Amino acid sequence: MSLAAEAFVSQMAAAEPWPENATLYQPLKEDQILLSDCASSLAVQAYLRMCGLPVQVVCRANAEYMSPSGKIPFIHVGNQVVSELGPIVQFTRAKGHSLSDGLDDVQRAEMKAYMELVNNMLLTAELYIQWCDDATAAEISRPRYGSPYSWPLGSILAYQKKWEVRRKMNAIGWGGKSLEQVYEDVSQCCQALSQRLGTQPYFFNKQPTELDALVFGHLFTILTTRLTSSELAERIKSFSNLLSFCRRIEQTYFEDRSS
Amino acid sequence: NGTVIPIGQSLDPLPMHGPELGLQADDIEAPGIEQDPKQEVLENKNVVVQRVHIDGLGRTKEDLLTYEIAEVFRAKNLIDVMRKSHEARQKLLRLGIFRKVEVVIDTSRGEDALPNGLDVTFEVTELRRMTGSYNTMVGNNEGSMVLGLKLPNVLGRAEKMTFQFSYGTKETSYGLSFFKPQPGHFERNITLNVYKVTGQFPWSSLRETDRGISAELSFPVWKTSQTLKWEGVWRELGCLARTASFAVREESGHSLKSSLSHAMVIDTRNSSILPRRGGLLKIHQELAGYTGGDASFLKEDFEIQLNKTLFWDSVLSASLWGGLLLPIGEKPTSIADRFYLGGPTSIRGFSMYSMGPQSEGDYLGGEAYWAGGVHLYTPLPFRPGRGGFGDLFRTHFFLNAGNLCNLNYGEGPQAHLKKLAECLRWSYGLGIVLRLGNIARLELNYCIPMGVQSGDRICDGVQFGAGIRFL
Repeated sequence: MSLAAEAFVSQMAAAEPWPENATLYQPLKEDQILLSDCASSLAVQAYLRMCGLPVQVVCRANAEYMSPSGKIPFIHVGNQVVSELGPIVQFTRAKGHSLSDGLDDVQRAEMKAYMELVNNMLLTAELYIQWCDDATAAEISRPRYGSPYSWPLGSILAYQKKWEVRRKMNAIGWGGKSLEQVYEDVSQCCQALSQRLGTQPYFFNKQPTELDALVFGHLFTILTTRLTSSELAERIKSFSNLLSFCRRIEQTYFEDRSS
Repeated sequence: NGTVIPIGQSLDPLPMHGPELGLQADDIEAPGIEQDPKQEVLENKNVVVQRVHIDGLGRTKEDLLTYEIAEVFRAKNLIDVMRKSHEARQKLLRLGIFRKVEVVIDTSRGEDALPNGLDVTFEVTELRRMTGSYNTMVGNNEGSMVLGLKLPNVLGRAEKMTFQFSYGTKETSYGLSFFKPQPGHFERNITLNVYKVTGQFPWSSLRETDRGISAELSFPVWKTSQTLKWEGVWRELGCLARTASFAVREESGHSLKSSLSHAMVIDTRNSSILPRRGGLLKIHQELAGYTGGDASFLKEDFEIQLNKTLFWDSVLSASLWGGLLLPIGEKPTSIADRFYLGGPTSIRGFSMYSMGPQSEGDYLGGEAYWAGGVHLYTPLPFRPGRGGFGDLFRTHFFLNAGNLCNLNYGEGPQAHLKKLAECLRWSYGLGIVLRLGNIARLELNYCIPMGVQSGDRICDGVQFGAGIRFL
């Protein structure tokens, strides 16, 4: 989002309180959504639950194309449409809801750095496994991605997406990586997160922040999604404090509400 | 022997060097044959057409032409030979493969020549193998460059291949089409198309990219022209701006439409732009979803136009359009399939396609519509430029009315008719019409919109319109 658009969004947003009928859009849960989109969507849902902002989750086959940035998920609040976690965090802050207001500047910079790490490592690894690992792409990603469309459109769109992701991987230097190297990157990323978390309940002690939401979204989705190989989940399972972190957030923010 | 009759000079009523037949075909009035004493003598003289030559053929296959010139052999006298040669020439020109066709009739020579034998020679000049065109267009905040390539007679049997490529500052479009007529029956033909077209529709805040293939079969039945078509289109819809309404945003994304359609046209008008007499009936129906694809609907629409010449060269013209879109299955209809109404080419006095169902200022189109118009066309006051440039202009008075809405198909036909009859939109006004060739027209009107419903965007006063199809 451009600076001007960002300023415009936050100004507009500040004027109105959070409405009851706020909606979050994501692809079809059963047949269509892929690991990376599911993780991003869960991160936003976790963040909004941590803020105590109600949102209704709606599944649409064309959610990706409805999103103003082309990325999953996006929320429709009043007459505003905002996509992805970063802009959504800014949007809620403009409305007076924030999780990171209690942090000082150093902590906030640290939080941003770890969020970048998660986006650059975990999200990219998810995309790599989905589209660049031939077995996963052929067995899971392509059929699921094209499932809402009739032949031959489903295949065309799936291949288009695959090429798009591969181009992106080549641009950021991941094109030549092997699957083993990607798993190793994930392990290193988790190692860093595990060390930062230590024995605290959340990354910045007692209060969750958007970083917690982001990490939860990705780790929980990887742990609960069945892929062609369980290697990715296994790498995370070796960090016990991250596992209990996921369980804690799930119990605090997801199980209590639904029961 | 050996008297060559250069037809263009000896017989004025048969203009052998007449204008090239192109789109202006219906401009040419069929020449009546005057009977003067000198020709009567020729008419009584029996002749036999012994040979027909076609000179100047390059890549054209001869078997194609034998169908077109076969009638010449049946001529029994000289006048008949001339008339039939003339008809054959028109047929040859209509194929669109010759730049020039000239006819020379000569007495037969050689050993087997009969005393009353004639040889007819068609001297043809073929069109070039490839012709190209280059245009630049400037539109609403957009400029584009259009490249066109045409390959007439590409396989030697009047097949035509055309390619158009438009490269714009915002959008790129292209189209490739192949046309093949049945030899001897030019009206029976098939057309194959491959295209990509991108359009921006600011009245709906919508951008649409279509990539499609289609196959079309046209043939005449009695006085009608029938077209059967299959089309497969991959449609990509998106919002034109961030501020687009959520209703349009919800329609974004990809869909595949595979449809079978049928069109029937009866056109007895003397000209398609500013006709003086005759009528037009056009019926079009489209069934999508039966042959695959994501979109399922049945679409019917029609167009009727009647023209009558009144006193002092004025023409009264009445038109009626209507259409209905029925979704099949639970899926609602797409914004790309619905009907739009309003603007200088349909109901004047309203902004382009800016009436009917809308959301936050974006017009979503309707599933049913009708529109009617009555025009009185008169020559310009005091008739400046009469017989020349001035004849391209007409003044007109018009009254337009119509309606566009969505139907709830559970309610039954009575409720539908009621819905289409209430909340009527109508307008009247007067203006000047300029005819551009025989394909398009420009209008400058002063409009007074009368029946306006809330949400409609009007254009009160002067409105300019350009287009091919007018209500």
